[in-house]
Amino acid sequence: MTAIDLPRPAPARALPFRLLAPAAAGLRDFAIALALPALILLLWSLGSAYQMVPQQILPPPAYVFENFRDMLASGELLQHAGISAVRVAGGFALGASLGLLLGIAMGLSEAIDDYVRPLFTAIAQVPTLGWIPLLMLFLGIGEALKIVIIAKAALVPMVLNTSAGIRGVPASYMEVAEVFGFSRWQKLRRLILPAAVPPIFTGIRYSLTKAWTALVAVELLASAEGLGYLLVWGRQMFWLDTMIVAMVIIGVVGFAMDKILALGEARLQSWRIDA
Amino acid sequence: MASGQIDIRGVSKTFQVDGRPLVALERVDLDISAGAFITIVGASGCGKSTLLRMIAGLERNHRGEIRHGGQVIAGPSLERGLVFQEPRLFPWLTVAQNVALGLENAKVSGETRRRLVAEHLALVGLTGFAQAYPRQLSGGMAQRAAIARALVNRPGILLLDEPFGALDAMTRAHLQGELQRIWAHEGITAVLVTHDVDEAVLLGDQVVVMAPRPGRIAEIFPIDAPRPRDRKDEDLIRLRNAVLEALDAIKDEAPRSAVPH
Repeated sequence: MTAIDLPRPAPARALPFRLLAPAAAGLRDFAIALALPALILLLWSLGSAYQMVPQQILPPPAYVFENFRDMLASGELLQHAGISAVRVAGGFALGASLGLLLGIAMGLSEAIDDYVRPLFTAIAQVPTLGWIPLLMLFLGIGEALKIVIIAKAALVPMVLNTSAGIRGVPASYMEVAEVFGFSRWQKLRRLILPAAVPPIFTGIRYSLTKAWTALVAVELLASAEGLGYLLVWGRQMFWLDTMIVAMVIIGVVGFAMDKILALGEARLQSWRIDA
Repeated sequence: MASGQIDIRGVSKTFQVDGRPLVALERVDLDISAGAFITIVGASGCGKSTLLRMIAGLERNHRGEIRHGGQVIAGPSLERGLVFQEPRLFPWLTVAQNVALGLENAKVSGETRRRLVAEHLALVGLTGFAQAYPRQLSGGMAQRAAIARALVNRPGILLLDEPFGALDAMTRAHLQGELQRIWAHEGITAVLVTHDVDEAVLLGDQVVVMAPRPGRIAEIFPIDAPRPRDRKDEDLIRLRNAVLEALDAIKDEAPRSAVPH
């Protein structure tokens, strides 16, 4: 509750140093972002303290936190998180790099785009979960299945953003390249790829987010380890504290990854102002 | 130094607009002698920018012939520099790197390359901004950088497509003076397209007045005033009025059929 009790930062103008203004604004945004989670935590505490929901169904926050500490201390949590991280890293690396190549090819070549895009769009429409039953028959339920499902989830946003980024290089810049007699390779290296870096980075960001959610989906259905498995297992054993710990970890890790990439993205976009 | 002579012979250009032919230029003849400063002025739609882009080699598929130093123009060439209305600097490159883009296909050593970039940044007064990024420049400074980029190959011809059209009046007046200085210093041929009659008269040895629908040359005014010129000079003001009258006469004229025979 401390978050919403924080004194409101003074307006930027009142600060002795203008340099402090962004920090103050950041602090305020942080406090605002924590307001709703704090409210939910409050309702949760009240709900379990006054037994509005049976404790077996909704364990009190303190109990869940204790469980989190125990799982952390025993190494169990890190083990599951580590397995999940390796799967996401593998699937994301595979899907994002294939997506980058396919996106570049589709962005550069009208013909490749004409051949590939209709099928690609149709495949992208089938949700990741929908692919699991079919792929299970081909790949079994081992690591290959998880990697392929995650890679597929990561591939789609990467292809879309990369091809759009390459197509989106302004014609006015292409004319500059033409005036200086750039070869195809020079156009690619000096103009198209640098201009497409920000949209490609946006693709990486969405790609990683999609990979992370796909991981949970595939671990829910076919796994004996990992954070998604922890969730299913907690439910099956009716260890709801374990389940909640897994949910919170999944959410926090996903949020942190997106936030870090969003910062990188904002830096890359900065030159776009006035472009 | 590359040649600065341009000969335009019987050039016509038709665009397809919504499936219908639109005559952008009809039988244009113009000789531009080396070292001259030609300004082309006219209402929008008179084909002045199209003509400039043809000289640059960006518009192909036209009838008639455009020669540069006797050679038929078939595409862009490092012998002709082009400045667009917008600076079109690549935002991820520094000012010096943007200027160096012009030398990408020039057969010069790395040492010469650096020297040429530095010289041309000095020429446009941007020496202190070599390492700046385009977003850090004002509109006038960005356009100076674009001029440096167009000149860095030491082309025989500098083509300018309404280069100061987007700038405020003070900056525009200042850059017009700078352009006169650069043109005189480089001994280059300059062709500048504008809709600003004052600018056309101030800068041009000849002012080519174009008429729209179909685009054609209506009249050519020689401007003999000595340089450097002062925009308050009475001869220039008289000439400006004459050009304005010519443009008014074109505006009142009934539009001819735009459909080719």
